Amino acid sequence: MSAALIEQRPQTLARAVAGDADSFSRLLEPLLGQAYRLAAVMLDDRSAAEDAVQEAAIKAWRKVEQLRGDASSVRPWFLSIVANESRMARRRRWFSVIKLADVRTPAAEPDEVRSDLHQALLRLTPEERLPLVLHFYLDLPLEELARTLGVSPAAAKSRVYRAARRLRDDLTIEEVF
Amino acid sequence: MSNEEFRRELNNVFDGVSGSPSSNLPDRVRSAVAHAPDARAPYWIAGVAAGVIAALVVGTLYFVGPLKPPSTVGGVHSTPSPSPISQPTSLPSPSPSGEPFICADESIHTQGTPPPPVIYVSALRTGAHPGYDRLTIEFTNGTPAETTVSVQAGTRFVMSPSGITTTLKGQNGILVVMHGSDLHTSYSGPIDIVTGDKGLAEVKRVEDFEGTVQLGLGVNGQACYRTTWLANPDRFVIDVQTS
Repeated sequence: MSAALIEQRPQTLARAVAGDADSFSRLLEPLLGQAYRLAAVMLDDRSAAEDAVQEAAIKAWRKVEQLRGDASSVRPWFLSIVANESRMARRRRWFSVIKLADVRTPAAEPDEVRSDLHQALLRLTPEERLPLVLHFYLDLPLEELARTLGVSPAAAKSRVYRAARRLRDDLTIEEVF
Repeated sequence: MSNEEFRRELNNVFDGVSGSPSSNLPDRVRSAVAHAPDARAPYWIAGVAAGVIAALVVGTLYFVGPLKPPSTVGGVHSTPSPSPISQPTSLPSPSPSGEPFICADESIHTQGTPPPPVIYVSALRTGAHPGYDRLTIEFTNGTPAETTVSVQAGTRFVMSPSGITTTLKGQNGILVVMHGSDLHTSYSGPIDIVTGDKGLAEVKRVEDFEGTVQLGLGVNGQACYRTTWLANPDRFVIDVQTS
């Protein structure tokens, strides 16, 4: 993000909070790629992910007056709305009980490891995928990750580690952070 | 697989799952936001309208309907005959629910009205029955929004957030994760229950932190189980197969 854009963001944010829809859209635009990837991994459905991002943008716009802090608050605030919207989309879509097949294979070859990792990721719940996406994929700093999850940094760290261990159980916390 | 390979592979998986967004996504969002301002119109109008309608309905019921107060005769209120006192709902018998046992992970999403942010566990009970051992988790104020049950080889669990490992009795494990719940507000019982039963050997609290409760179950034999939700009071039941 260019320095000029960073300088413009506080003004754009102020105008957005004041109710300027165009400023609000410009504020969100750099975040849409990350928002989409977050929703896509949580939902495992690209089309539904775009719908979730669109719905999240509308909800964010409706409560933009509640946005507190400076321009650096926008990303965790918006991503938390996207995560909530993805949860809701998933609940709307899913049947009440989902039973997933056991894909555990104790002795996997390298090619199968890749496949297992993919399958293991899909076997995680959205709540477990969320911290992994934020940490490994979107590369959010811990503080921002915690704000997105709405928990303390220590709890955020714990959630990332716990979810990562479900993918690879010999990971140490030092390898994750 | 090294740590770097793990990260790279994980990101490749993420890339494969998500792909790239459509090029028109920014336009979609811009258009949606641009057409949304009407929805930002003062909510108080809808609130006032709802209040007026509610007042009219209640008023109508009060004067002509079922909310009309009992008539007074000779200064004595005629009281309605006492309605039968509802008997407390008896706990269901521990008979098998008929659901087949499974030996795989399971993710259970509670449906219905949005639950309070935190659901309190009030009791943990275990019991042995013909063909299965049962763990009952009882809640005071609803059911957690999401509960996950996963099976694992061995009974080694990582306590959270300490990171300390603990090994339970038995040969295999079942991990129950309940998001949006706690085990310390309404629960004061033991957090490590060694049952001495044939199938379910031990139940131990693995995490009770920041609204997430994890229970580790040490199981003798193959970790095959079935789950059931029960109401009045709300309970989550896990039956571990013993035969």
